[in-house]
Amino acid sequence: MNITKKINIFALYLPLALLLAPDQAWALQVHAPPEGIYVHQLAHLFFVAALSYLFWDVRRSAFPGKGWRYLQIFCILMILWNILAFSGHWLGFDIASSDIIHPAGYFSSRLIGPITSIKFIYFCATLDHLLSVPALFFLFLCMRSLYRSIETKEEK
Amino acid sequence: MTSLPLYPAIITDMIGSLCIIVLSFLALRYAWLLIRKQPENFLWGFLFYFCLTLASFAISRATGHLVKHILLFSGDEEAWRFINPISGGTNTLLMISLAAVTLYYHKGIEGYQAINRKARSLKEAYDQLEIAADQLHKMNLHLEEMVEERTRELSASEKKFRNLFNNSKDMVFFSDAKNHLLTMNNAGFKMLGYPLDEAPDLNLVDIFKNEDELESYHKVLRSQGFVEDLEVEFSKADGTGISVLLSATAVYDENNMLSGCDAIVKDLTRIKTMMAQLAASEKMASVGQMAAGVAHEINTPLGVILGYAQLMMDDFSAESEPGQNLAIIERQTKACRKIVADLLKFSRQSESAREDVSINEILMDVIAVTQHSLNMDHINVHQDFTPDLPLIVGDTERLRQVFVNLVNNAHHAMEQQGSGELTMISRYDATTHEVVATVQDSGHGIPEKILARIFDPFFTTKSVGKGTGLGLSVSYGIIQDHGGRIEVESPVTNKQSGEKAQGTAFHIKLPAVVVEAASVRE
Repeated sequence: MNITKKINIFALYLPLALLLAPDQAWALQVHAPPEGIYVHQLAHLFFVAALSYLFWDVRRSAFPGKGWRYLQIFCILMILWNILAFSGHWLGFDIASSDIIHPAGYFSSRLIGPITSIKFIYFCATLDHLLSVPALFFLFLCMRSLYRSIETKEEK
Repeated sequence: MTSLPLYPAIITDMIGSLCIIVLSFLALRYAWLLIRKQPENFLWGFLFYFCLTLASFAISRATGHLVKHILLFSGDEEAWRFINPISGGTNTLLMISLAAVTLYYHKGIEGYQAINRKARSLKEAYDQLEIAADQLHKMNLHLEEMVEERTRELSASEKKFRNLFNNSKDMVFFSDAKNHLLTMNNAGFKMLGYPLDEAPDLNLVDIFKNEDELESYHKVLRSQGFVEDLEVEFSKADGTGISVLLSATAVYDENNMLSGCDAIVKDLTRIKTMMAQLAASEKMASVGQMAAGVAHEINTPLGVILGYAQLMMDDFSAESEPGQNLAIIERQTKACRKIVADLLKFSRQSESAREDVSINEILMDVIAVTQHSLNMDHINVHQDFTPDLPLIVGDTERLRQVFVNLVNNAHHAMEQQGSGELTMISRYDATTHEVVATVQDSGHGIPEKILARIFDPFFTTKSVGKGTGLGLSVSYGIIQDHGGRIEVESPVTNKQSGEKAQGTAFHIKLPAVVVEAASVRE
């Protein structure tokens, strides 16, 4: 048996031997519970970055028409929403389950005092739809305006 | 403040979630309409995918929130604990996707702009190509028109020169460097006597009768590049010669080598005949002038001799020797006077009457006078008179004398062979307005060598004492005096068959008065 053939057999059997003896391989990593919220928070930051870029690029491109201005407003509102949501999630770590009580069911839930600034900001963050709904409304206006503008152009 | 109620947050969250779903779908609808309107627009494509991902995110998040509120309302906190991470994870995933789509816009727009630039560049190239194609098309159209116009001009020119070539009465031919005749027109073959339907391949060697002339032709053509009015003799199909006037131009190839020639050949037969006739006419005129002078000079002494002879005859009896001698003198003197009178007639010195004359009547008179003696020698007389022949102006007696002379000559030509056919024809030639009278015999004919001398005074083939040689010269003089022509044809060519027959034909051509008379009547 020549040398080349021996090397070939060794190269074939080595991965097989490793697969059959996985002891201490550390192939799987166990993730601790806060990882999910960290990923979510990073997603918010990623979304903020993307929206900031979109806002900057639309502004830079100076596309004409109201539609693009609505898109810029949407970007700003969504960035604010992301910041609010991010803050809400972040402050959520400081809110203990005992800080919220349910004296007469879920609808009667209350954030108990003393109401610190953290608790107040958390409370405000729960009202994030006050930012996201207008943002989506401006997105709707943007799309409608863009559609109407090309429709008008075609009619001309 | 001891506590804050969370129900505003719950209410806002529930209503807001519903609004978010509705608004995201409304935005998605318009994005969909946009890409339907302009599917090629990248921006609309981006906005559609952005709205689609946002709508997915909105559904996921809003649904999660609504489910949370419902489950917590119903007190099923355990279920929510189970769903919560799934909902949160999905929201995270869709939020990242939304961000990715947004960032992808950057690359997409670059690609779109690059495609747009390419498209613009392609459009510009296409526009330029279209302009070039349009120009090419116009040029092509113009070229086609030019080609058509040139073709028409060439065709017209070719037709013109082809007609000139085909319809020319002169021979036109093209020959190569080896003297082969490449093309020759019909007039050429006709001139050389070749049938048109079986035109042979000819060489200049075949058609030049004399080699010296061919050599001379080549020499001049090579040295000068052309030959002008070279008088040569061509050989006809039957071997006889034909005198022609040749003009040719040398043709050179791209190497400036002689590649052939194109030539025009004129038949000189007619010109030569005319020149011969002119020479004969001049000769006859001079002879006539001389004869008139001589006749005048001789006429007076002859009158004196005759007068004195007749006076002396009164002094001697007719039976006496002097009386007989004087009678001989008188007879011979009268014969001399007749000759002198004929000479005067030939030279047109004698007086003549002018009246409207019918040639047919004269011919019939002549036949009446001569038929008896012709029949004695078994000569048949044929008449072919055209009725209602136009009249001519002339002297009946003198014209009768012309035809008597011609009939006598015919009689003389046929009497030795013991029989013969004499044909007298009259017709009208409308093209020349001439009355043509023909006296044709089937006699021995006139040899070619003496044909040119037959009208000379005192030229005769008859034996001594039988003719004075003045008959034809007198006839010539009379016809000339009438403004006509006398032509001789020997042997005689049959006009229908073209065959030549033995004998002689004299054609007397006299101007008719029919047109003039008609115009006077009008």
